[in-house]
Amino acid sequence: MSPSVAYGTDIDERTKAAEQSSTDVLTAPDIPWNLVIWNDPVNLMSYVSFVFQSYFGYSESKAHKLMMEVHKKGRSIVAHGSKEQVEQHAVAMHGFGLWATVEKAASGNETPGKGGRQRG
Amino acid sequence: MAKAFKYGLKGISGYLEPAERDLLRGLLDDVISMLELDVRENEDPLAALIGLDMDVKQPSDRALLRLLPNVMKDDDDGSLEFRQLTERSVRESKIGALRAAALGLDKDELVLSPEDATRWSMALNDVRLVLAERLDIRDEADAEHIHSMQDWSQAEDVESYLALVYNFTTWLQESLVQAMMAARQGKS
Repeated sequence: MSPSVAYGTDIDERTKAAEQSSTDVLTAPDIPWNLVIWNDPVNLMSYVSFVFQSYFGYSESKAHKLMMEVHKKGRSIVAHGSKEQVEQHAVAMHGFGLWATVEKAASGNETPGKGGRQRG
Repeated sequence: MAKAFKYGLKGISGYLEPAERDLLRGLLDDVISMLELDVRENEDPLAALIGLDMDVKQPSDRALLRLLPNVMKDDDDGSLEFRQLTERSVRESKIGALRAAALGLDKDELVLSPEDATRWSMALNDVRLVLAERLDIRDEADAEHIHSMQDWSQAEDVESYLALVYNFTTWLQESLVQAMMAARQGKS
């Protein structure tokens, strides 16, 4: 993303927040799809953070953390749910111009939150 | 000179010179024409109406592929199937935002409702994504190199001109997003 700034992301906090927040984010362990946002050198950090806040209803600090994770690690799981749910999010993200993909939770490198840790 | 977008009593407002409006209008129109689908003969009108496109292919143009990316990293068949179901509606929503921004440029005063502002930010983002592909911005170093070109007297060829245009749209989008953030906080 552009422009670069120093990073710092706390995954524990992120997953804690994910478990508390909105209807978009289901944390049941048997729901096996992730929405992934990938880094690119064009999208503004402020814009990505804004999209996370306005579309997912995430708090400013959670949106910032997810955005920094995209920037620092190259990707971040920003939501999970059924295949249909994450595909719907992906369509919305593509509408915003963010580079989003969907993947089965078990195939990812990250654990998608406490409840979904490496099952199935 | 353009003025940065800001959030105030009237909402989100900005100011652009006529030449800057013309420039932006041209950019928005370019992206609209990239996204518009040709009318095809023998197309099932019902399928078109509900947004299906069974003849869709992965875009060969890299800029268009960036606007309409594959939804799965390592599954071309799955991504194509998703395109058949969704690409047409993504194109339409993008064109809607780009048209709304272009129409906004025709008004004397640039005052945006929250919905206008969202559409503007989406439209400016798509314009930047396309310019970035044309400028071959592949990583953060490329982006920084382009970003260092800020002086219009440096515009000596197409590439440097595009770089300056890209930087102008980046500045405009950044100021818009900051104003949108301020508007969100102003409300809460």
